[in-house]
Amino acid sequence: MLHAQVVGNAVASAKHPSLESFKMLLCQQLGPEGEAAGSPFVAIDLFGAGMHQKVFVSTDGIGARDIVHDEHSPVRMFIQGIID
Amino acid sequence: MRIGHVIGKVTMHTHEKALKGARWLLVNPVDTDQLNTCIQDQPQVTAQSTLVVYDHVGAGEGDIIGFVEGAEATAPFKDPTPIDAISLAIFDTLTYLPPPQAAAG
Repeated sequence: MLHAQVVGNAVASAKHPSLESFKMLLCQQLGPEGEAAGSPFVAIDLFGAGMHQKVFVSTDGIGARDIVHDEHSPVRMFIQGIID
Repeated sequence: MRIGHVIGKVTMHTHEKALKGARWLLVNPVDTDQLNTCIQDQPQVTAQSTLVVYDHVGAGEGDIIGFVEGAEATAPFKDPTPIDAISLAIFDTLTYLPPPQAAAG
């Protein structure tokens, strides 16, 4: 799981059907001291995470395919939890 | 899902039956400071390494796409397929709001 922060969102009308019912949020992975690490990526949002909230992002494709109920979906990153 | 700018197309002959007639995109990952502008106007090609992505959503040159790398790229295929990057979204809008204290990525 990646420790990340929501830093934006993405909208795409042309996308894989399995992404249809999910919001896509732009996330920035955070390093050990909370600094930005790497470049932002897009993850699907399950819990309605808000802007700049700290979240856990899972990169497990098997779990992602379960969540979108489509074993042929190439989706990989999803927000698994919101850190209070 | 990484964000990339489609800068070209690749056509090749392959013996892999699952990849017959496949469309391949030449994708250059965008930099963080291009995120807010890359859809309105064509971003410069960045220093990040360009890669060839299997096109699953019909993207064309100039599109900003989301693509996934790794084993998940083979998920849409019935049998195991030797690819490691696949496109799954063409972005209409991208909004990037860096948090106040953190420097841009």
